[in-house]
Amino acid sequence: MQAIVTHELTKVYAGARVGRSLSASLDKLDLSIGQNEVFGFLGRNGAGKTTSIKLICSLLRPTRGDAMIFGEDCRLPRARRHIGYLPENPYFYEYLTSRETIDFFGRLQGLNAPSRAKEWDRLAELFDLGGIRDQRVRTFSKGMRQRLGFAVALVGDPPLLILDEPMSGLDPLGRRLFRNVILKLRDDKKTIFFSSHVLSDVEQICDRVGILVKGRLTVQGRLDQLLERQIQLVEVILEGVDKQMEETLLPRCSAVRRSEAGTHFYVTTLEAGNELVRTAMEHGAALVEFNPVRESLEDYFIRSQEAGRP
Amino acid sequence: MRIIAVAQNTFRESVRDKVLYVLLFFAASTILGSKAIGWISIGQDIKVMKDICLASVLLFGVLIAIFVGTTLVHKEIDKRTLYTILARPMRRYEFILGKYLGLGWLLGLVTAVMTVAAALYIVALGGGVDLVFFEAALLIYWELLLITAFAILMSSMTSPILGALVVFSIFVLGHGTRILADLPRQFDDVAGKRALELLYYVLPNFSNFNLLREAANSVPVSGAYVGWAMLYGTIYSVFLLAAASAAFERKDM
Repeated sequence: MQAIVTHELTKVYAGARVGRSLSASLDKLDLSIGQNEVFGFLGRNGAGKTTSIKLICSLLRPTRGDAMIFGEDCRLPRARRHIGYLPENPYFYEYLTSRETIDFFGRLQGLNAPSRAKEWDRLAELFDLGGIRDQRVRTFSKGMRQRLGFAVALVGDPPLLILDEPMSGLDPLGRRLFRNVILKLRDDKKTIFFSSHVLSDVEQICDRVGILVKGRLTVQGRLDQLLERQIQLVEVILEGVDKQMEETLLPRCSAVRRSEAGTHFYVTTLEAGNELVRTAMEHGAALVEFNPVRESLEDYFIRSQEAGRP
Repeated sequence: MRIIAVAQNTFRESVRDKVLYVLLFFAASTILGSKAIGWISIGQDIKVMKDICLASVLLFGVLIAIFVGTTLVHKEIDKRTLYTILARPMRRYEFILGKYLGLGWLLGLVTAVMTVAAALYIVALGGGVDLVFFEAALLIYWELLLITAFAILMSSMTSPILGALVVFSIFVLGHGTRILADLPRQFDDVAGKRALELLYYVLPNFSNFNLLREAANSVPVSGAYVGWAMLYGTIYSVFLLAAASAAFERKDM
């Protein structure tokens, strides 16, 4: 059974008109996320990421389509029992302390008092909340609120975590903490669905990604598959290349340069790189490095946004 | 359990609201000042004091119900504290009911404290307080619960300012339903007559909860009447809370 399945999920906000027609903030989103998968949801501001997440969490009513959580309609409270949700910039009751906040959400999850106490101990350790146990939320910094927000999402140990921009506004230490927690959750076989602008984090953490452009899911797939076919350049560094050999190899390359490491040859395909290495080694050169330069997720993302399609 | 959790949290939130203490300060001042007004009406001082004390319980209770009640749900949407709550296995009507009960508990506490304080003050000044005084306070509380239900309904539909204006208007009109009952006879226009009659039947009749005169004059009131008024208030409140839940159910966060 899939953790999240959406079928033609569409949201048109009242009054969101472009010319004579209504403009959909989210247009026919078909998404399928398996259990134990880490899925990164990407898109520019206003692309429809938060709208999608709110629809899945049943905070918004879809104009059309539906969303299922572990096979149950997301509008049913029992389906939401499986969800831990961290909104972008989470807000909590200012007059509660972090301990009271965790306790409150434990009660909403239906946990009894001993279980809630255990949850506090577990989450306080995971997010280092012990020092702010009795501190009111109103005195919290953004990073502290974010930590508390993530802890709240984990109350009741739900199998599915939906995180909307979890790294937003965090300092480097906070980002590392969150990344480590997400990796730990991945090891614990949780399903994680998260949106982020920090593409290096997405690249490090996610199994699959989906990219939204103007409310439409333009691409989804495994990161290695998406980026593998996008090898832009192969850099071959060779040692012991004399003038004559360089002239022999030059017609096969797009560029050549010299450095302390050796002579750098640039070709456009893996096959051309292999051929170049074979020829050079036959002429007595030694291979120092063979670097296929792949398009990074950031390059891929920017290109997909510029083109309006992948 | 979820309803109780929301109710307790609402109670805690309201208790920590500074507006409550400002209103309580004015209520206490009015109760203490009732002696001075009673003194002006020669020979009627205790009667007037009872009247003023109960009226101040009602007035300040209504202000708390309106000012706190009309912001309760709207504030949660505005401050986005609702996101993490409604993403939990929680039905929206449970949230509405929890909010209502939380404010209801607070109003119960406020009404009880003010009533007991007023009764002790009257006794300390040599007056007597009988059962009807407390029955009047009980019906005031029931009226406050009904006003709270109106406030919650408005809070789930519109802004606090508009909500407060509407609920306050309903409070004023609900105390003047007898005038509304007489008005249609003075109209020739059939549509106007019908509209006024409809308004008369739709608006709550708050005079059903008004035992101030009886309490001031120590006129006994039957338990059946008190029970009937409470039943009327309960049915009306249930209807309003159902409407609030329906409106909230359809709301996008």
